[in-house]
Amino acid sequence: MDEVIIPIGICGMLFIGLPWLIFHYVTQWKKNSSLTIEDENLLDELHALARRLEDRMSTIERIVAADSPSFRPTLRSSRDEEFDLGSRTEQREMQTSRPRRRDH
Amino acid sequence: MTPRRTRFYLDKQNAKFLGVCAGVADYTGIDVLLVRVGFMLLNFATGFFGGFGLVAYFVVAWLADKKPHELDYEDREDRKFWQKVRARPGASIRDVRSSFRDIDRRLADVEMHITSQNRRLADEIEALR
Repeated sequence: MDEVIIPIGICGMLFIGLPWLIFHYVTQWKKNSSLTIEDENLLDELHALARRLEDRMSTIERIVAADSPSFRPTLRSSRDEEFDLGSRTEQREMQTSRPRRRDH
Repeated sequence: MTPRRTRFYLDKQNAKFLGVCAGVADYTGIDVLLVRVGFMLLNFATGFFGGFGLVAYFVVAWLADKKPHELDYEDREDRKFWQKVRARPGASIRDVRSSFRDIDRRLADVEMHITSQNRRLADEIEALR
């Protein structure tokens, strides 16, 4: 009995299970990476826009903070902390650490 | 063919040989040294498997284009962003949205501050009259 079941089981796994697994992941991957070229250009533009706006926002916050000491820029979201090696973040840290110190 | 951010390219700038490993590293965000060592280890572990790994390397090097210059990243953050787009487009779109929200919130803070300050100034002028 065993001699019959084991080869059938192995064949089943090999010819049904394996392709199933592969196609499952292929469809998932396709679904995941379905950015059209328009989407991609739009995303590129939005990303650049967000970064420009963020830079301007930092400048304005710095100016306002220098103008009136009562203003304290709110702390950034934690997402930005990943990019701590860039030169842009140094200004940002100067700017965020000052009000933080005042709290203590 | 228009250049696209989500396509695989050979990275000739960081290439050691033909730029396939550097391209993989650039595409996925895995460290380039790790990719190279992994590739060599895989080749050695399979005993070069009839040269399959090497053939695959050359086929990829032959089929893939080298990276066009307009796709060069501005800086690290840009590179990280596009690597994330390739891995999980949905998540990176939400990231962009969250950064817009962040900007909106900060702008609201500044606006609030400036308008309230002007209010105080106006009150003082009013008092001096």
